[in-house]
Order: sequence, then C-alpha cells, then structure tokens
Amino acid sequence: MSFEQLGLVALGLYLIALVTVAEVARRARLDRTPADHFLAARHLGTFVLFLTLYATAYSGNSLLGYPGEAYRRGFSWIMATGFMMAIVVVFHALVPKLRPIAVARGFVTPGDWVRARFAHERGGAALRGAVAVLMSVALANFLLAQLAAMGVVTQEITGGAIPYAAGVVGLAGVILLYETLGGLRAVAWTDAAQGLLMLAGLGTLLVWLLDASGGLAETTRAIAARRPAAVAVPDARECANWASSIVLLGFASVVYPQAIQRIYAAQSAATLRRSLALMSFMPLATTLVVTLIGVAAIPRLDGLGLVEADSVMPRVLREWSAGGFVTMGLGVLVFLGALAAIMSTADSVLLSLSSVIAVDLLSRPDDAPETTRLGKRAAVVCMVAAVILALAPRVTLWRLIELKMELLIQCVPAFLLALHWRRLRADVTLLGLLVGTAFAVGATLSGTSRLGGVHVGVIGLGMNGMVCVLGSLAGRAPR
Amino acid sequence: MKADGSPGRGRAGVRGIFAAIVVLYALSIPWYRDPAQDVRIWLGLPDWVAVAVGCYVGVAVLNALAWLLTDFHDEAPSGDEERP
Repeated sequence: MSFEQLGLVALGLYLIALVTVAEVARRARLDRTPADHFLAARHLGTFVLFLTLYATAYSGNSLLGYPGEAYRRGFSWIMATGFMMAIVVVFHALVPKLRPIAVARGFVTPGDWVRARFAHERGGAALRGAVAVLMSVALANFLLAQLAAMGVVTQEITGGAIPYAAGVVGLAGVILLYETLGGLRAVAWTDAAQGLLMLAGLGTLLVWLLDASGGLAETTRAIAARRPAAVAVPDARECANWASSIVLLGFASVVYPQAIQRIYAAQSAATLRRSLALMSFMPLATTLVVTLIGVAAIPRLDGLGLVEADSVMPRVLREWSAGGFVTMGLGVLVFLGALAAIMSTADSVLLSLSSVIAVDLLSRPDDAPETTRLGKRAAVVCMVAAVILALAPRVTLWRLIELKMELLIQCVPAFLLALHWRRLRADVTLLGLLVGTAFAVGATLSGTSRLGGVHVGVIGLGMNGMVCVLGSLAGRAPR
Repeated sequence: MKADGSPGRGRAGVRGIFAAIVVLYALSIPWYRDPAQDVRIWLGLPDWVAVAVGCYVGVAVLNALAWLLTDFHDEAPSGDEERP
C-alpha cells in the first residue's frame, strides 16, 4: 500500500468518525436554545474543555506555518513558544472577572459583555456593533485561511487523488454538517479527538527527526555549519519584534470570540481553572516542537525559497514516510494531526461567527430557539462564501488575513480595561477602537506591518488605550 | 480571600508569581546579549535559546500554579466590584 492510498483510507475513517460524533452530540442536546447550541449548555468538563481550548488555539498555521517560519528565521522563532504561552498568562486579566458575570447573566456571545457593561451609556450600542464587526471580519478571515490550508493538506495526504478544490468543498461540508447537527457539543468532542491526534503526531515526528539527525546538539552544530545566522544571537530589531509578538498575540488572542465562549461554556470555575493550568504547558508540547522541526530541517532541506519554506513540514514527512510501513503509518498520523488542527479551528471559528452574527450583529435575543436557527443559517451562508473565496484566492483578500490580530487587539480595551476600570466610558472606548483600527489598517494596507520591529497593531492599541484613558479621565464618570 | 473579604495570602502569592513571570519574559529575550558574541551549545541548543526555553518552562510552571491559586467562583459578583 502506498502513502497516498493509506492516507485516503485514514482520511475516510477520520471523517466517518467525525460525523458519528456529531450524531451522538445531536442526540445529547438538552433543548434548542442558543445556550445549548453555542455553549453546550455550559456543561464542558475539564478534559473536554482543555482539549477543545488546545485544539482551537493551535490552528493549521501553528502546525504548517510555524515550521516554515522557524526554517526561515532560525532559532529566534523560539519566540513563538513565548507568545503562545502569553495567551494563557493574559487570560488572568480576563477570566476571573468575566466568568462570574457571564454565568450570573447568562452570556452567550462576547458582545453580551459589551452590552451589559455599557448598556445605558451614550455610544454603548455603537460600541457593541463595532466590536461585533471587528470580530466578524477577523473570524471570517481566519475561516478563509483554515479552508485554504485544509485543501492543501488534503491534496498532500492523498498525493493529489483529492485535489485542492475538492478538499476545500468536501471538508467544509463535513464541518458544516457536524457543527449544525451538534453545535459546540459536537465541536468540543471532535476537538478533543483532534487535540489528541495532534499531540500524538507531533511527538512521534520530533522523536524521529532528532534520532535521524543524531540528537539535538548534533542538529544544532549542523545548522550552525550550514547557516550561521540561524543560531546567532538576534539583533535589537529582532528582539523588539520578539517582545512585540508577545504583546500582540498575548492580548489579541484573549479576545478571540471562540476563546471567550469557551470561558462561558465551562461546567464550573474549578473546571476552567484546571483546564487553563494544563493549557500553560501546551506551548512547550506543541509550539516548541514545531519550531525544532523547522530549524532541524535547515541542514536537511537547505536552499528552499521564501515561499517554498512553507512546505517544510510536508517535505519532512515525505522523507520520513519513505522509511517503511511503520513510518509511513506514522507519517499519515502526523498529516491527520495537522488536518485535525485546521478543522478544529475552522469549526470553532464558524460556530462563533454564526453566534456573533445572529446575536450581536442582528440583535436577536440570546435565549430564543429562533436565534439558534438563524445562527445555523448564518453558518451556512458564511461557509459557502468562505469556500467560494478559498477556491479563487486573490492576493488582496489574503492580505486581509494579516490584519486579523491587528483588528482583534483593538477590542482589548472594551474587555480588559472595561472589566478593571469603572470610569471607562463607552463613547471614548468606541473612539479609541476607531483610532487604533484606522491606524493599524491604514499602515498595513500601505505596506507597513511593523515600525522598528513593533507591530502596527500594538502601536494602534497604544493609541487606542491612550484615547480610552485620557478621554475617560477628562469627561464625567459614568453613573 | 479571607473570611472578612480582604485579599488573603493566596492573592499576594499570585501577584508575586506574576512579577516572576514578567522577569522571566524579560530574560527570555536576549536583548542583553551582543549579537556578535560567540554562541555556545547548552543542552543541545544555542545558549540564548536554552535560556529562553528555561524561562518558558518556568513561566509554564508558575502560570499553572497561578491558575490553581486564583480564586474566583460562579456566584453573581457583589455590587461593589463591577458595574453591570
């Protein structure tokens, strides 16, 4: 049996398992309310919550994009381990304050917090709308990126037997099916299986790579001999980018709508605490591993171009899989792990997007079964639109993906500052959000993504925060 | 939280942990090293990478501890905390 045939069989079994889980989740639903569909009736226990947080946080970009970036930049990409860990650190500023309010008031979407906090203030409704728009745009871009990655991985794993377009359409259909059938319950259960698959795949790949290279020290010496800059101490600009990445990812990721909804969906505060404690270690088990895979590929695959570097992981896997039936099977496992990472992020993003559209943008009640139905219809429309765009990607659209974090981070004051500072007003928070967004979008679209190594989104957040603080101090405190 | 509602040793401990995490993050970035300096291999990695990995292992342990010590519950917040 060839790698492609084995990949095709494994892919088929994996998809059948996903649909089966969705049907079980559908039968487990308690009612048809948005809280049941979008938050699994707030019954996620530690094991499932931890794995769904893990599988959602680590997307296709983490498994396919990060090794490529490590290959290009060398050991300085160790910064990725730091910024992924920063997400779980910055959650301390959000979770202990937001969770009790969310449970007491039955929040379903991130916008529910903005509505509750700024309910009777001038600009409160506009702020909620602006946050919902930014989150929707960021989620839509994120979904688009996952669909494209799904098409690429499916093509790779089946050796082209399933081409890119068929992979995008087919897997999008499977996600849509299990998500509309079982809601967050199906998404979380499939995420749990996908998270375990990712861990198993990455662990086996790292062991093979280090073993085949003669150990870590030997690998580092080989990298230094082939490309000395990859092991050299980073210069001041790279250090500034390192610090900026920690701030950007740490703060932007805590306002991921899908992450906020998992905070709402936890069975209890204790469950959430335990899950987040476990999540602290996952950057070491995932990001550090893919970084080492990327740098270890430098002496093995020297000379790849900038764009070609994104294919480091598939190339390493192909090389590994040629070693016999066992390694071929493990190679397929890693590919499935990568596909699982992509699908688990795509399903979570789609579910959040549909709830934000139904509740926050269209202002439907978050306790009515009609809102669940509207959310499902929104999911279908979003998925169809994203598939069409993914099938004919245009450079201008893909460039928008770069804006995801720069946009999301502008929502931070409406959550973190609003949770901790009573004096913050809705109108100045809206103004700050608009100023920060205008700066980040303008700079990115004019071709500037960093200034002195610092991301324009971080600079925009600084301007945003200044407007919020100075504006709130200058005006009358809200009643 | 103490029985009288004042912050207890747990909260002070968590604040100390956060301060240590900030220090570890600052040390993880090799801004204090000369880029032209020779690099040695420690634990199989370039020395500045080994330092960064050590810092991140420390952050992971401390952050997990902080989550286990953080005290929050699902009851409705009291009136003097958040406005909503």
